[in-house]
Amino acid sequence: MTISCRLSKLGLVNALGTSHEEVSAGLFAGNQDGLVKRDDIVPDRSFYLGEVQGRLPEIPDTLVRFRCRNNQLSLAALQTIEKEVRTAIEAVGRHRVGVVFGTSTSGVSDAEVALRYQRERGGLAPGFAYDQLEFGGGAGFIADYLDICGPTYTISTACSSGARALASARALLELDVCDAVIAGATDSLCNLTIFGFSALQAISEEITNPCSVNRKGLTLGEASALFLVTRDAGGIQLLGVGESSEAHHMSAPDPSGGGAETAMRAALEDAGADASQIAYLNLHGTGTPLNDSMECAAVARVFGNELPCSSTKPLVGHTLGAAGATEAAFCWLALQAADLELPLIPHRWDGARDPELAPINLVESSHSSSPSPKGASLVATNSFGFGGNNCVLIFGRETP
Amino acid sequence: MLGAVVVRTSAWAPGIESAAAVRAWIENPQPLAATGHPDAKFLPAMLRRRCTPLTRIMLTAAHECCDNAAQEVRTVFASRHGSINESIGLLEAIAASGRLSAATFSHSVHNAQAGLFSIASSNRQASSSIAAQQDSFPTGFLEAMTHLQRDPDRPVLLVMGDVPLAEAFAPLVDEPAASYAVAMLLAKNGNGPHISLRIEPGEKSIASPPWPAAFQFLHWLASTDSELSIPTPGRIWRFSR
Repeated sequence: MTISCRLSKLGLVNALGTSHEEVSAGLFAGNQDGLVKRDDIVPDRSFYLGEVQGRLPEIPDTLVRFRCRNNQLSLAALQTIEKEVRTAIEAVGRHRVGVVFGTSTSGVSDAEVALRYQRERGGLAPGFAYDQLEFGGGAGFIADYLDICGPTYTISTACSSGARALASARALLELDVCDAVIAGATDSLCNLTIFGFSALQAISEEITNPCSVNRKGLTLGEASALFLVTRDAGGIQLLGVGESSEAHHMSAPDPSGGGAETAMRAALEDAGADASQIAYLNLHGTGTPLNDSMECAAVARVFGNELPCSSTKPLVGHTLGAAGATEAAFCWLALQAADLELPLIPHRWDGARDPELAPINLVESSHSSSPSPKGASLVATNSFGFGGNNCVLIFGRETP
Repeated sequence: MLGAVVVRTSAWAPGIESAAAVRAWIENPQPLAATGHPDAKFLPAMLRRRCTPLTRIMLTAAHECCDNAAQEVRTVFASRHGSINESIGLLEAIAASGRLSAATFSHSVHNAQAGLFSIASSNRQASSSIAAQQDSFPTGFLEAMTHLQRDPDRPVLLVMGDVPLAEAFAPLVDEPAASYAVAMLLAKNGNGPHISLRIEPGEKSIASPPWPAAFQFLHWLASTDSELSIPTPGRIWRFSR
């Protein structure tokens, strides 16, 4: 059964800002000011981070067991759509609203503090609760904050978590388990991921430079993007989901791009769309040598060399578990702004094309010299995660 | 109606290491042992070297359950704690030495078991790894239903497993310390009992069960009771046949 799956409302926060206006302005201008150089985290290493600046909302005292930066980022995103979300809950009942949440970090940043306390003073830090740290707690926090009791869970498949959360939200609506779902993802910067990717030699000293011959790895960031997903027609719709596993390696993709290609083709099939109907593709585009080479090869095989593509990781960093939802949110903002013409998100890089990569059409500027193919109106986003977990989403704007 | 055919099940816990031992446990259920893990000899040595106790347990149950379908099924791996113990170890390593092992880091993702299952069995199908606090097992069953919704002709392998939380945080959870995994092959049609699922609002405060919900499910499946209720904080999951 195929139903409407409307991404009715969007709340988000990332290095570009918190409001739709702020984020859109930075996005379409290709603004990299949100990435800040840090040399005080990993000894003898410096790199940029896409930190969310400014004060985050406090977790209410009644939910103190969920207090951590990850949940504060979720709350910052959620509060921007809270009124509409509460209205939707009121309309369908608290047991008919679910939460499908993606994260790869959960509250690990705050566990670091609790472990330091334990080392230095012994015993459990006052106020520390496991709900802050456990993966399921990110979803549990949203459900308890909104006082809803539909299915509430976290999907954690590394960097495809956020995309996969939207896929499961649609299925819960199709199964008639829920009438509305809060779906999206949050990841927060923490020592675990910064030291981890640093140990993998995957972090670039300069801002990530996807598809360039000079690319040297990724830039990490943090973000939250949460959607109110409903069964309504109209507006911006999730039209296609494509998934695959790589069966290749825990931390490296299949160099042929076979897994990525399978997921892109499956998403097109699920959307009932032809490759020529896609007007813009948001790349996974991490800026690591292997991701970009396999992804360009796969994109060229599925879409050819004309489709406008960009990576938004040079603007907000790789937000890991939140990346799939954050990049879905960027697609949403582009479709939302597409009154006459779809605004494209520029690909920020040094322009030094890698002759080893399949040539794909990287967007120069928001109103590019090479516009979207005629008749194309859909947008897609790629997410590929550790463990070889791929998820591709396709969105379109439905005019009622 | 929300539900699926349970085509096959398998389980592993310390001392419950064969189908006969699972049947014996069902006859006479007891709290599970806290620690212990299988050899998982079916895994290639290169992969096995990196496997944590939880990975060995979950992949052993998965291996028993899928038979020759391992390459073709979609998978859902559900675990409350997942690889959190490895993450805590990595945080301690950073605090002690300012560095961590890259390989341990890439094997500490919540979907480590799913990734290793995919590699070990050349499985290129969709896979999700979930966590849902005390609701992790029944929610894993629900997530498996979402995969059957997307691809009705393809069976889904659900694997639920956990090991006790690391000492640093163990006092914070109210649950029996157990190492275990339960795997089940779910399909739209096929030979086996058709199990339906309903989700209802419930009390916030619940008593900690004597053994994990996935083992309660196995016990019920072998019984003649028509319904199994699994209360979790805020919800009641009702399975019926």
